Amino acid sequence: MRASQDIYPQSVDVERDVEQLRNSWRHPRGVLGWLSFTTHQAIGTRYIVTAFIMLLAGGIEALMIRTQLMRANNGYLGPERYNQIFTTHGTTMMFLFAVPVMEGMAIYLVPLMCGTRNVAFPRLNAFGYWMYLFGVLFLYWGVFTNTAPDVGWFAYPPLSGPQYTPGKSTDFWAQMITFTEVSALCVAAEIIATISKMRAPGMSLNRMPLYIWSILIQSWMIIFAMPAIVLASSYLLSDRTVGTHFVNPAEGGDPLLYQHIFWFFGHPEVYIIFIPALGFVSAIVVAHARREIVGYTAMVLAQIANGFIAFGLWVHHMFATDLPQIGEAYFTASSMMIAVTSGVQIFCWIATLWSGRPRMTTALHFVYGFIAIFVLGGLTGVMLAAVPLDLQAHDTYFVVAHFHYVLIGGALFPLFGAFYHWHPKFTGRLMNETLGRANFWVLFAGFNLTFFPMHILGLKGMPRRIYTYPPGMGWDGLNLLATVGAWIIAAGGILFIVNFLWSRKNGEVAGNNPWDADSLEWAASSPPANYNFEYLPAVTSRYPLWAPREQRGVVTGLATDRREALVTTLMDAEPHHRYILPGSSIWPLISAICVTIGFAGSVFNGWYITWGAIISGLAFIGWFWPKRPLEPAHD
Amino acid sequence: MTDVQTIDVGHLKAYDISNQDPLWWGQFMFVFIEGAMFAILIAAYFYTRLRMDVWPPPGDQFPHKLLPTLELIPLILSCAGTYWASEAAKKNSRGGMAGGLTLNIALAAVALWMRIVEWHSLNFNWMTDIQGSYVWAFLGLHTFDYIADLAFTAVLLLLVLIGRCGPKQRLGVHVDSIVWYFLVAIWIPIYVVIYWGPIIVETQQ
Amino acid sequence: MKTTTRVAKVSAATCTAFTLLLTSCIYNRQSAIDPAGPQSGRIDTLWWSFFWLLGAIFLIVMVLTAMTLTRQHRGFEQEPLEALHKASEKTEARLRSVITGATIVSIVILFVLIVASTVTGKANSELQNKKNPLTIQVTGTQWWWQIEYKMGDPTRSLVTANEIHIPVGRPIQIRGASNDVIHSFWVPNLNGKRDLIPSRITTEWLEADHPGAYRGQCAEFCGLQHAHMALWVIAEPEDKFNAWLEAQLQPAASPRTPEEIKGEQVFMNHACIYCHAIEGTPAAGQSGPDLTHFGSRRGIAANTLPNTMGNLAGWILDPQTIKPGNHMATIEVSSGDLQPLLEYLESLK
Repeated sequence: MRASQDIYPQSVDVERDVEQLRNSWRHPRGVLGWLSFTTHQAIGTRYIVTAFIMLLAGGIEALMIRTQLMRANNGYLGPERYNQIFTTHGTTMMFLFAVPVMEGMAIYLVPLMCGTRNVAFPRLNAFGYWMYLFGVLFLYWGVFTNTAPDVGWFAYPPLSGPQYTPGKSTDFWAQMITFTEVSALCVAAEIIATISKMRAPGMSLNRMPLYIWSILIQSWMIIFAMPAIVLASSYLLSDRTVGTHFVNPAEGGDPLLYQHIFWFFGHPEVYIIFIPALGFVSAIVVAHARREIVGYTAMVLAQIANGFIAFGLWVHHMFATDLPQIGEAYFTASSMMIAVTSGVQIFCWIATLWSGRPRMTTALHFVYGFIAIFVLGGLTGVMLAAVPLDLQAHDTYFVVAHFHYVLIGGALFPLFGAFYHWHPKFTGRLMNETLGRANFWVLFAGFNLTFFPMHILGLKGMPRRIYTYPPGMGWDGLNLLATVGAWIIAAGGILFIVNFLWSRKNGEVAGNNPWDADSLEWAASSPPANYNFEYLPAVTSRYPLWAPREQRGVVTGLATDRREALVTTLMDAEPHHRYILPGSSIWPLISAICVTIGFAGSVFNGWYITWGAIISGLAFIGWFWPKRPLEPAHD
Repeated sequence: MTDVQTIDVGHLKAYDISNQDPLWWGQFMFVFIEGAMFAILIAAYFYTRLRMDVWPPPGDQFPHKLLPTLELIPLILSCAGTYWASEAAKKNSRGGMAGGLTLNIALAAVALWMRIVEWHSLNFNWMTDIQGSYVWAFLGLHTFDYIADLAFTAVLLLLVLIGRCGPKQRLGVHVDSIVWYFLVAIWIPIYVVIYWGPIIVETQQ
Repeated sequence: MKTTTRVAKVSAATCTAFTLLLTSCIYNRQSAIDPAGPQSGRIDTLWWSFFWLLGAIFLIVMVLTAMTLTRQHRGFEQEPLEALHKASEKTEARLRSVITGATIVSIVILFVLIVASTVTGKANSELQNKKNPLTIQVTGTQWWWQIEYKMGDPTRSLVTANEIHIPVGRPIQIRGASNDVIHSFWVPNLNGKRDLIPSRITTEWLEADHPGAYRGQCAEFCGLQHAHMALWVIAEPEDKFNAWLEAQLQPAASPRTPEEIKGEQVFMNHACIYCHAIEGTPAAGQSGPDLTHFGSRRGIAANTLPNTMGNLAGWILDPQTIKPGNHMATIEVSSGDLQPLLEYLESLK
């Protein structure tokens, strides 16, 4: 992009500044250089690409599951293989696809939408990515060496304990959790710091785009939910490897305690996945209905309430464990409350579309698809919150249908919409709209064909996680239908890939703001330069690019000969001080390798924890060791 | 000409050693994460304990309370060293940082020695029974963090002593203090659970 | 000898396939929306109330959503929207009050649903106050069900497997336990599910109001053969149930024909006795299902197969093909011994 002097004040030397910015933000060359990238666009892209590969892996596993269940007494997969596949499918989709892809999108979009140059901790960001990647490789190393986990993505003890699942498969699973949680926590911490302290001047809390709100809430949820799963998987791992008794019923440990801790994480996990997706929906609705959101305050409050309530309803996964009735009533009420806060958001979107001028782009198609699917999934969720209904539907295909409606409808459809929406920003080119619409309709049809029959299957008594079923149960036809649907979904996925590849070369060149959208990322060039903005923007309204020209502003005076950003105050985003961002560094990778040696080795020998801690400590010291010369203070 | 407003930030400081810095927020998140983990672990301890008819499990000695209680003294005092160092970091006083960090490390090391002596005297380990698992988890997790932060503090002290101590490092001294306060503060409930817990919630057959 | 075993295996497998085809119609009732008892009946009513109410809400929301496509702005000012990206203050206020109204309505509806759900739950828990209950302990084991009838008189206690007989109209208390991992007891036509958790006892109450055979199967993932862990609940009129009970309380029938006598010896001389018990004989193994009245049961291998002589032959000769990973050892039975063994086991009515 050529810098244009005319839109900037006379006082600045745009050409010199841009030249310096290019130099100070330039990526290092070579393989080693490539491994040292710390810009948020690079790391975000790596997250998104890795996560999409995981989506493909999880999708192939799903097809294998559906093919096995196509007809009664099918012999395609044996029980051992089937259990591995469904466990790997769930684990991949939850831990290695859904959460990381949301994080990748956030890493890419948050600094742009907040109007800053990078996330607050760029090297931590890179470290988080490497941990995630090593977690992926670790689990799939197990899968390809026939030590795939086979006790479900929830790994309830005692089935997952040393007595009933000997071997290393569950240890692989439990340690993979640690990898992804370390990664998720790194991202959450840096996203919170970025949003709290690095927003554009003038972007007070009540001017933050709804997507920023959603990712902020999601990050806080990660901070409080993920420690629980770290604890649960550590319980499991230490019971299995060093002989503790945390969840061993023979020694006073309680398998239900594991379930409590697991679901204290596991339920918020679902919201961790779909709350950012709701943020995508808000961004798409505003941009493509071409109007401000109706009920901004209500939306923000509903999202915050969602975040809180999500921690108060984990027990609805455990109604069948014979809990006291009074507790059940509480968890029924809290589970249904989430329908109100979600409902408010749905109403606001409908009102915005209703009174706007919706432009029927592919992105908006996915939003409409999202509303249809997610509302249905939400209503079956209300059914499952009722204890008597849950006791029938729990652990049947009704639940499988429900959470695929909520997760695919609530997260994957908005994600596809978001991809169509932001693809021009990521790559500089629009995706093909005709193919995009075909992509949407095939996915939508395939999705409903696959998962709607599962409601009926569940009511007709088909439990989850069975690798086969006898004929004559009345399940054959519906299962066949679901399998056909799954293959149609796969066709939709292929259309998406085709469109993506086609658009890389042939897509229409987008320009900075092809949708005439409102938020700051559209002020940057497409794709954005490593430093995002020549001059950081300053804002005076909630929809900065829709504000009259005289209300727009830019920040001058930041050093351009080093990576520097602006720290602003938490509430009002008033400039506070300048902040020197670190440059490229290989240390995150070295540290991640050292930590990985500790984590991966501990599956085989507990002492690796000690050795891993020592070498990781040394790596972290190398990371933080001051570079020569000490950074100039400029003050 | 332009009609765009400008905000010139050239006059602002290039760093700020205070809670306004993103790094401070990052450390604060770390404290939240650790805090959430210990909170869940404590809740899990009581959940498990309430299911048991006899507590502590037969054969487990009651932990001694004298040494762990005495340990609190150097531990809490070490926060003074931390505070001294973190204030000196703001004022860019090398002597203050060196003194504060040295005091911090010395007192923390004394407390650590007392803890390990007491730990060594336990007649059960993590494999013995469920109480053993929990006590060792509390001690292990907290001591691991404790030693890690101590090592990091030692590195900071080294940087201060050899004079490689720019604004980033001084900010490090400042934000590191939050983690130390946290580790001391969270030790108090853990201390109560480990050393007084078996007595407070004791039940005999 | 090896060849004959293989021939026997093949013929047994063919036999199995045929019987499966022919008898597939006996796998029938396992449905939450086909209630056969008061508990499941109430849940069924609750389900349909939820279904209609929430279904109506779904339709309304969908119609409104679809209308956003057609009205594109009619009734609202066009030009200012283009320029300002928002409608007039009056329109915005109107939209906000509609959202508020819709939210209040949803709160009211959810309140009604919570009450309906709680009332149903309460009504279903009333069964435990009814007189003259029958207590049955169900112990989940990888991958079959041990059934124990707990009578007041301990000498009249009964142990069986994978099949529960209950009298119609009498409250049944199911005490759930587990020998290994977590299982879940679920007979959808009678009531919702209840987990069977090691180191705990869980309780569920159910009652049948029509005679019939109701299938259930394990609903909590319990390992390799989770799919093949089914049970039958046979609800019978009181007198028929009592007759069944008396028959089951007897020790195993003595073999009568020479074939059966030989079969008993085959059983006693093989490893079968290490795991299986047959009351009235030296066989007293505890880790497998009790076979005292095996011939009277509907299925074998936790109802993986219907109980026919052909299936039984296939099962004994090659349990690991029919139910891979299950804990039944493959025992070498010579072809001459197989038929007597089958005759004997099937005679244990």
